[in-house]
Amino acid sequence: MVLSVKETSYPVEERRPESDAKIVLKNISRIYQIKRNNGKGSTGFIALQDVNLQVRSGELISIVGPSGCGKSTLLDLIAGLARPNSGEIFIDGRLITGPALDRGIILQGYALFPWRVVIDNVAFGLEIKGVPKKERRAISQKFIDLVGLQGFEDRYPYELSGGMKQRVAIARALAYDPGVLLMDEPFAAVDAQTREVLQDELLQIWEKTGKTIVFVTHSIEEAIYLSDRVAVMTPNPGTIKEVIDIKLPRPRQNSDIRSSAEFGWVRHKVRELLQSGSLEKEHGQQTDQNVAEAISTEATL
Amino acid sequence: MPGELERWSISYYIQRQYQKIKLPVEPQRWSGLKNWILKTIAIIAFLVLWEIGPRAGFIDPQFVATPSKIIVTMWGMLLSGDLLVHVYVSLRRALIAFAISAVVAIPLGFLLGGWFTTFEKLLNPLLSILGQVNPFTIFPVIILFFGIGEAAKIIIIFLVAFWPILFNTITGAKNVDPQLVKCARAMNASKPALFVKVILPAAAPYIFNGLRMSSGNSFFMLIGAEMIGASSGLGWLILNSEVNYQIPRLYAGVVTIALLGLAISNLVARLEKRVVVWHEPAN
Ligand SMILES: Nc1ncnc2c1ncn2[C@@H]1O[C@H](COP(=O)(O)OP(=O)(O)O)[C@@H](O)[C@H]1O
Ligand SMILES: [Mg+2]
Repeated sequence: MVLSVKETSYPVEERRPESDAKIVLKNISRIYQIKRNNGKGSTGFIALQDVNLQVRSGELISIVGPSGCGKSTLLDLIAGLARPNSGEIFIDGRLITGPALDRGIILQGYALFPWRVVIDNVAFGLEIKGVPKKERRAISQKFIDLVGLQGFEDRYPYELSGGMKQRVAIARALAYDPGVLLMDEPFAAVDAQTREVLQDELLQIWEKTGKTIVFVTHSIEEAIYLSDRVAVMTPNPGTIKEVIDIKLPRPRQNSDIRSSAEFGWVRHKVRELLQSGSLEKEHGQQTDQNVAEAISTEATL
Repeated sequence: MPGELERWSISYYIQRQYQKIKLPVEPQRWSGLKNWILKTIAIIAFLVLWEIGPRAGFIDPQFVATPSKIIVTMWGMLLSGDLLVHVYVSLRRALIAFAISAVVAIPLGFLLGGWFTTFEKLLNPLLSILGQVNPFTIFPVIILFFGIGEAAKIIIIFLVAFWPILFNTITGAKNVDPQLVKCARAMNASKPALFVKVILPAAAPYIFNGLRMSSGNSFFMLIGAEMIGASSGLGWLILNSEVNYQIPRLYAGVVTIALLGLAISNLVARLEKRVVVWHEPAN
């Protein structure tokens, strides 16, 4: 019954996304139930409110925002690991109802299986898919080569550096050939030099494979350097404030594009957006607190 | 995990014993021979003193048999088949009880630690208290219920082997990295695949910890169980030797138990090394 209400509440043509839209997020909200300390009842925490976004097929889009603004929550929803409290997400025009192998996710932290050597980590998705062992090895090897880890197939994750672990995670997500790659702050934990190398490698892989990539980061520079577009998120509640086109020329690898005037200008703009967002947030928090106080005094009365 | 260990006084004690025994085996930066001499020098000195003591009259030879005498006695018992019968009977009891506790405790641990977590919270205080009960003290109750037959012995050993496996499996199931579960779920892993490919291997180091503690416990408790109304087994051998005042035979039993205990713990440790091949980040 609830479903049928939803059917009628949206005009039919609105449910058909544009032809080049790979992912469509429509009025997404996500509320976490937070248990009260006294154990009685719970309050809702709005992690995402009314998020709308269209990701084009084959584009690399970044989502940038401060820690805690709901970036990981958003990726979880697209991955199908959680359901939005309201709104809908479509991939290729199909409503997302759960995880599937048409999306690969690279989680915050490496999330490698410590008991599997590199090649078996990469093969995990293929195993789930039911690909026969021989084929699995061949495909995994291809992606290990792609991320430049040949010779490390039989190493355990604890025997790898941070950058290498990240490469394994990328190979694992690519191995079962999803159309969409969701990446959650993949390069946040590696040193600056390795990060730039990994960024260039990612751009190369993206150009080779033509994946649609949603790249979450809290680094403005990283977002601009990599992306076709940058979605700026602000917290409390998490919303997409603006989506900025990055018209920097490609290929960007091995160029000094980071020091160009346009790069500096875009960076300035994104920073301004983020700052104004956090200012609003402070105001918002104050009013929130007042509301909370009002509620709690009412409750005690 | 240390909390779980400490609560478990017997197993904690045994664990410490193992650690002491294992220490010299750890790689050191000395040359092989020098290392070996250093490791064995204390043992040799002890054996020499033991041998000389009763012979020279420092120690009453009626109460303490010399190592040479023990070895001769053990050899004789080995040739007559006497010793092997007792070893076989004891090992069989310990193994059956140990296997039953593993088969019951591991699935139960996963159920409590992984699925019915609120139920586990509810049950945890009770389990901790039950785990604290010293099986020696409830021997009479067990005898009342099960008599002094084979079943009573196996149940006594079961009761002591069960808890470390259960507690460790619960801890293991609870401590599975949620990011790994998320990762597998994102790749559309089914529930059974998730269990076999993620939860089970992630909990394996904890389970092995429990198994190691339990294997020691089983053996430890076996000796006690065999001292009540048994007619065979190493525990009975010791008790019977004491009653008949066969001191060398008594020591032969003690040494056999020590050697078997060491062998069992080594066996489990070896199995653990084969299964848990990846390194754990600082346990
Ligand atoms: N499972 C959860 N339960 C309650 N609150 C959560 C949960 N996950 C995230 N949050 C909250 O939601 C907000 C957004 O979290 P997250 O999406 O992880 O942010 P980001 O990835 O941008 O740092 C944070 O304030 C966080 O505390
Ligand atoms: Mg995050």
